[in-house]
Amino acid sequence: MTGEKRRRILIAKVGLDGHDRGAKALAALLKQEGYEVIYLGMYNTPEGVVKTAIQEDVDLIGISFLSGEHMILTPELMDQLKKHNAPEIPVIIGGIFPPQDVEKILNMGVKKVFRGSMVKDVTTYLDQFFNVTNLEK
Amino acid sequence: MNKKKQKTNLDGYYEKSSVGTTHSGLPVKDYYNPDDLANFDYQKSVSDPGSYPYTRGIHQDMFRGRLWTTREVSGFGTSEETNERLIYLIREGAGGLNVIPDNPSIMGIDSDHPRSKGEVGVQGVPMCTLQDMEMMMNGIAMDQISMSLIASSTQTPVALSQYIALAENSGIKPSDLKGTTQNDPIHCRYAGFAISSPINLALKTAVDVIEYCTLNMPYWYPINVNMYDLREQGLSAPQEVAFGFAMAMVYIQGVLDRGLDIDQFANRFAFYCSVHMDFFEEIAKLRAARRIWAKLMKDRFGAKDPKSQKFKFGVHTAGCSLVPFQPKNNIIRVAYEAMAAVLAGVQSLHCCSYDEPIALPTEESVRLAIRTQQILAHETGVARVGDPLGGSYYIESLTDQIEKEVYAIMDEIDSKGGMKKVLESGWLDAEIDRASLDYQKEVEKGDRIIVGLNRYRTDEEVEKYEEFHGASMASQKVQVDKVKKLKEQRDEKKVKAVLKTLKATAEEDEKNNLIAFMITATKQYATLGEILGTVRIAMGETYDPLDVLTHPFF
Repeated sequence: MTGEKRRRILIAKVGLDGHDRGAKALAALLKQEGYEVIYLGMYNTPEGVVKTAIQEDVDLIGISFLSGEHMILTPELMDQLKKHNAPEIPVIIGGIFPPQDVEKILNMGVKKVFRGSMVKDVTTYLDQFFNVTNLEK
Repeated sequence: MNKKKQKTNLDGYYEKSSVGTTHSGLPVKDYYNPDDLANFDYQKSVSDPGSYPYTRGIHQDMFRGRLWTTREVSGFGTSEETNERLIYLIREGAGGLNVIPDNPSIMGIDSDHPRSKGEVGVQGVPMCTLQDMEMMMNGIAMDQISMSLIASSTQTPVALSQYIALAENSGIKPSDLKGTTQNDPIHCRYAGFAISSPINLALKTAVDVIEYCTLNMPYWYPINVNMYDLREQGLSAPQEVAFGFAMAMVYIQGVLDRGLDIDQFANRFAFYCSVHMDFFEEIAKLRAARRIWAKLMKDRFGAKDPKSQKFKFGVHTAGCSLVPFQPKNNIIRVAYEAMAAVLAGVQSLHCCSYDEPIALPTEESVRLAIRTQQILAHETGVARVGDPLGGSYYIESLTDQIEKEVYAIMDEIDSKGGMKKVLESGWLDAEIDRASLDYQKEVEKGDRIIVGLNRYRTDEEVEKYEEFHGASMASQKVQVDKVKKLKEQRDEKKVKAVLKTLKATAEEDEKNNLIAFMITATKQYATLGEILGTVRIAMGETYDPLDVLTHPFF
């Protein structure tokens, strides 16, 4: 839809985990799908992610985890969003999680959890979430 | 029969095998015959197992002399929890131990570092102080066990020092210790730890370890060049070998520059390789790697000792080939990959646990990984004869094809000024990113079929899950409290003094070997962060790779 800004997505890894293959691929392929992507790379703190998200006025935050630190760092991220008066920015999480953690993460206020999925699953979800077609991204 | 079902059946009937290229994209023919080996010179390019160029294996009697070592990677929670797992593995028949440090330890920071929050004991075991090593090895006979410390980052010299210090404190000589340090900090730049692996520091710490072990620890493999992690980024099989060998040669040059002779240390070089899903390609890759390494050592570096020319390798089945959906399918994947590794003449093997793309492996899933190896070893008969596929028209042709590809990539690196140059210029980063993205696109498009991911998916909801093992948050607190308490109890004056000596030695000459000084510091319970940070400062880096903390003493 003309006049509407392109959807802006922030992709990052938080913590010390170095498995960034998934996050990088997601960032690159979302760009190809027409989204505007800000890729923050590795070693981010929850606070750093939130500050950047606000500064860049993003429409959604996507965090990639692998090593099991999600149960500590996800609630911290959600707290930081509240602390910085931006609880409305939606958060999605992707990576490797024990299935029993998925509900716990959703209860923290995360919109959606992707376990080892394909990028296609993420874009399908985002298109529905934003209720947009390719032209409107 | 309804129409939909009939249609599905017909699709299955007409299903074709995948396209005419290997997993890495090498073109292959419908079949191979004697014409493909018209110029085949058995003695020159293949020869018997145990004979140059070792294409068919490094031992004449291969597995009849000794089976490969079953080495399952472990490390999680506190050092006490890991100790329990290690003892369990020994009881279940593991031939050697394989311990991985947690993220803060790989990064070279302490468990009580503010950025370690949420990361302690996750994905590995804390190796912060000598105390951690003491508790991890409690009740394990260090003079008998073969230990692989998967310390590969710039942390390696400290981890090795902790291991040696513990041995010495227990009355065991370092010269009696058997095992491996992975010690490949350059590859860490491409495995998520670039921030803690500046090239100069990486090369310095790696060469120190190799030099020290060469002169003091005859049964220790000081380096295990990690081609596996590179491959996991999405590279092809030939790229895995070419980049791995190029990195190995950077270390070799570094050790030669210290004045050691190639035949003094090349025989202790080992490699950690991936075995991915393309069965024959992986076997051909490892055969080609043996031949190339033998020639490189002989022709490029002038190694005369046959032991220096033998390519010794461990295999980690490809973690990235596993799928979190329908997780039991992974048992099948791992079994095929493990069989390929054995048919390729592997020296030590880690089989992934089927639940690895979901959580930390449970005791049950690790046992299954060990049993996979034991069934291969004792029931299938595949280990009976050395290189049973040697002479196959297809395998020999594919081995030649991969060898050619590897040389082409190595030539490209040479033409760009050598490996050190392409590390610095970012060329290697770009190659890895490109390969990784191409791979993902093929998966997304469905050109690369992965069962349960882009084909034959079931509804996730109907899958039944068992209890999977997550990381324990309670262990994190235990570990952090332990380190804080230790820092209060140790003799701060002595810690400061040993670090001061370490710093002065490091500053005096980059070629000064620091391991002996690190062992002394470790015995005073100086921490990983303090020891490595001291060396970092001496080399002009920040004390803390994350630049949050400053040196507690200077």
